[in-house]
Amino acid sequence: MAKTILNLKNLTIKFGGVTALNSVNLELKEGEILALIGPNGAGKTTVFNLITGVYKPTSGNVFLGDVAIDGKKRHHITKLGIARTFQNIRLFGDMTTLENVITGTDVRNKVGLIGSILGTPRSRREEKASIAKAHEILKFIGIDEYADRLAKNLPYGVQRRLEIARALGTEPKILLLDEPAAGFNPQEKVELAAIIKKIRDAGYTILLIEHDMSLIMGISDRVVVLDFGQKIADDLPSVVQNDPQVIAAYLGVPEDAS
Amino acid sequence: MINLRDKGAQFWERSNRPVRVLTVFAIVAVVAALPYAGNTFLQTPVAAFDAVLVYPMGMFILMALGLNVVVGKSGMLDLGYVAFFAVGAYTMAILGTRTGLNTWEIMPIGIAAAMFAGVLLAIPTLRLRGDYLAIVTLGFGEIVRVSALNSEAIGGALGIAGVPFPPGLGFEYQLLDQKYFYWTIVVMILLVIWVIRRLTVRRPGRAWESIRQDEDAAELMGVSTYKYKIWAFVFGAAIGGGAGVFYASRSMVIAPDNFTLNTSILILACVVFGGMGNIWGVIVGAAILGYLPDRFRFLSDARLLLFGLVLVVFMNLRPEGILPRKKREKAIVKKGSGA
Repeated sequence: MAKTILNLKNLTIKFGGVTALNSVNLELKEGEILALIGPNGAGKTTVFNLITGVYKPTSGNVFLGDVAIDGKKRHHITKLGIARTFQNIRLFGDMTTLENVITGTDVRNKVGLIGSILGTPRSRREEKASIAKAHEILKFIGIDEYADRLAKNLPYGVQRRLEIARALGTEPKILLLDEPAAGFNPQEKVELAAIIKKIRDAGYTILLIEHDMSLIMGISDRVVVLDFGQKIADDLPSVVQNDPQVIAAYLGVPEDAS
Repeated sequence: MINLRDKGAQFWERSNRPVRVLTVFAIVAVVAALPYAGNTFLQTPVAAFDAVLVYPMGMFILMALGLNVVVGKSGMLDLGYVAFFAVGAYTMAILGTRTGLNTWEIMPIGIAAAMFAGVLLAIPTLRLRGDYLAIVTLGFGEIVRVSALNSEAIGGALGIAGVPFPPGLGFEYQLLDQKYFYWTIVVMILLVIWVIRRLTVRRPGRAWESIRQDEDAAELMGVSTYKYKIWAFVFGAAIGGGAGVFYASRSMVIAPDNFTLNTSILILACVVFGGMGNIWGVIVGAAILGYLPDRFRFLSDARLLLFGLVLVVFMNLRPEGILPRKKREKAIVKKGSGA
């Protein structure tokens, strides 16, 4: 198997008296699509927030390659190669689609305030390159026709895809998708699955939170199941699907059976 | 109501380069000719028209442009903006009366001092948002004023008198005919517009814009919010400081009373009234709010009532300001989606 690119070691986080995640271990291999599933409140988004630096773990570490990234600044983590989307869409609504993606690409740009004012050759070069890259990403995701529309006026499905495009703009190694198919109809889900596969084939590693089982079973290489902040399964989709513990977590257990 | 912003933007987009250049020259020419319009209906009773063009109008425009970067573009409510104006003005007054430096030599020093004050304000307040930030900046503005008031070394309540005029550049700055002051400030405003426009369409502008819209998302998309918030403060401060230097040099005498909370609020009103985030709106707003009180000075105290009334009526008619920020999409009306 490919080498481990992201490694969560004994990750624990407590909010007051609540242990949201309890000693979770998780390895993400380069080039795979790993699905993170679990009932509501299991701690899936908390995992994302820990990886991206929104929360600091109470104990445990997050390693990107060999580097511990827990405790680093959020924008720095993005620069190191982790980008995410949001469960509830958080685009920059007053910007156009293109500008949203360019804002993502800016993390790789170097020009500062003074360079921008003076319009140095580097600033022009970077601007040009960013615009070209953003268009390329929009085409890749299939929403380039909306490039000049304001993000807040976009159809819902396009907004969701723009979230992915903006994240890709930061040139991540790892893409974290937080319920990218939420609110999608079956047709849109099929299209999304194709896009996610396409992104993976382009060389990205994907960690995905999703509720839609058919989508997960269709695209993921491996599935990790969280329940009440504990990892209860980590295996191939087909295995996890039939794991009694997982079924119990989702459907509950009859009282006499437990 | 006619949508002036979209009409203007459409005109701009449809024009070719020569038309654009001509338009800019025409506007600049009209603006530059304003001091000669003193005998028309524009005439201000009491104060001389050319003096009103310099202060409050020109100064307000300059300050509103600077504050707009902080409030309109980056979304940080700053109620102490006058502090930077004061720092610039006091730098000019102190250095101008005690050293041999002239206004143009002091200008960069005053701007640097204001920028330094901007950093001082920015660092402790960066973690604050919204109302909390507003209160701290308000406090900062008052601290600067009260410090000046209580420092005998810089004149205390009396302030500093005898600040020298700027040396002429082939002409002489005069008290009774202020058109040179006015033209100088027009040049300063044009320079600031040029710089802001450059920033707006490039990386810093996007960073500020993203911070305003969703600071957390911005940071997770790799925007160094810390750095860009400091830059917004510092950049705004630089403009305020530059305006302050020029103000002190023109007014000859400054005192802490020139830098009260009222001024901060008024400049903020200019920004909101004109249209937060839109530099053209801010310019129009500041020009109107700077001009009106002097135009209606014959009403004596009732003019402030009128001033308030204008604000209330206008903000009801155009809640987002005279020229709101860009909302129009580049591909103009794809499928009858209206204005």
